[in-house]
Amino acid sequence: MHPVRFASLAIVGFLAVTGFDIVTGLEHWPFGSYPMYSLLYPEQLSWLQLYGVTDRGEIELRGERDFAPFDEARLIVALQRLQGARGGNQKLDEALRNVLQLYNRGKAQRRSVDQPLRTLRLYTVSWALRPGLQGSEPPGERTLIAEVTANEAEPQR
Amino acid sequence: MNPSANWHRYWFTPETAEQLALVRVVSYGLLFASYLPLDDRGWTQVSPVFWMPISLFHILSGPPRNVAMIGILQILWKVSLLASAIGFVSRVSMPTAAALGFFLLGLPNCFGKIHHLDGFPVLLLCILAVSRCADALSVDRALRGSREMRTGVSAQYGWPVRLAQTLFLLVFFAAGCAKLRNGGFAWMTAANMRSIWLGELFRHTPPPALGGFLAQSTWLSQFAAVATVMIELSALPALFFRRLRVLTVVGLLVMQTFIALMLGVYFTPHLVGYALFLPWERYYRKLHGRRR
Repeated sequence: MHPVRFASLAIVGFLAVTGFDIVTGLEHWPFGSYPMYSLLYPEQLSWLQLYGVTDRGEIELRGERDFAPFDEARLIVALQRLQGARGGNQKLDEALRNVLQLYNRGKAQRRSVDQPLRTLRLYTVSWALRPGLQGSEPPGERTLIAEVTANEAEPQR
Repeated sequence: MNPSANWHRYWFTPETAEQLALVRVVSYGLLFASYLPLDDRGWTQVSPVFWMPISLFHILSGPPRNVAMIGILQILWKVSLLASAIGFVSRVSMPTAAALGFFLLGLPNCFGKIHHLDGFPVLLLCILAVSRCADALSVDRALRGSREMRTGVSAQYGWPVRLAQTLFLLVFFAAGCAKLRNGGFAWMTAANMRSIWLGELFRHTPPPALGGFLAQSTWLSQFAAVATVMIELSALPALFFRRLRVLTVVGLLVMQTFIALMLGVYFTPHLVGYALFLPWERYYRKLHGRRR
């Protein structure tokens, strides 16, 4: 094929998929419609949050170190999608058991002095967003969504 | 002028083999540096319940389970990026870099959420893989001599960079359109911008303090909201107007720097997109002249 014709075809192909995704809002990775932060954000933030229970009590789990290879944003969105999926409760429990394993396995590999988790809890947490917040404030509301225990037979709900 | 001539002038303005070769060196070099810490082996330990394949990953029956295979693939990918940067066995190394880049950068996106950092680098790898970017300043050329490879000025050396620049700018135009489609003009209000900044204090570890601080100013929140959408939407006309292009690219770089500081989202792989707009051949000639 003539080089210019080949290049023209390649250009048209790339632009067609890019344009399609922009117009429709669909995602055909590595193309995409780039919808991050495109929604309207209310002044009440509602978010999922994981807490672990050790022999010393409940601790908040955040950040990539706790969930590797997940980062926090990907894990929370994945859990939200599982929660809304068909058979969501069962899938959510299976996912949380896996996250619990990942945490304890990662902790052992890092030779962390932190205690292993006995239980993992998923809460919906919410804050009223107002200027002056620092990010360290506890949530205004906290609702338990699911809970799994290491080596448990049946999840508690 | 007729549309065909406009099309030809836009995409196929002749360029030197050296300019495209320098883009090759910089692009593969930057991607190698950006993705050196990448390690996908952990995904083999994640439960299949999280498997939500995207794009061509639908053809896989489930998440990969072989740690050693992922380990080997990512070593191969990083070696292929390096080999492509120096133009060594480029007919193999560049397609390998594109194919493995697609797999290794796409894999994490199959576990619940697409992060939009890695889409453009994959597109760039695909464009470079089908281009003649190893015709100059490459080990292949040095080994084969000038008999087999023609260089000089050609339309073939212009379109790959032009296409990559276009796709890079369209990334931002798409983001601007998404805000107007999903949020409407209300997206550009101070209240919405403030909620985004304050929300990240609780969604991100460590909390990005600058966003929380600036959210105290209604005026700054309003300005940031409008400026974000304006800069993103200007990416489309910037494709056609050179002076606007300079302003838009600088504006986008400033915007992404602020996103990093205020939302804690680092678009490091996008540095390769900004690098496409720099006159590398001019720098090279200056450096070359100084050494003589």
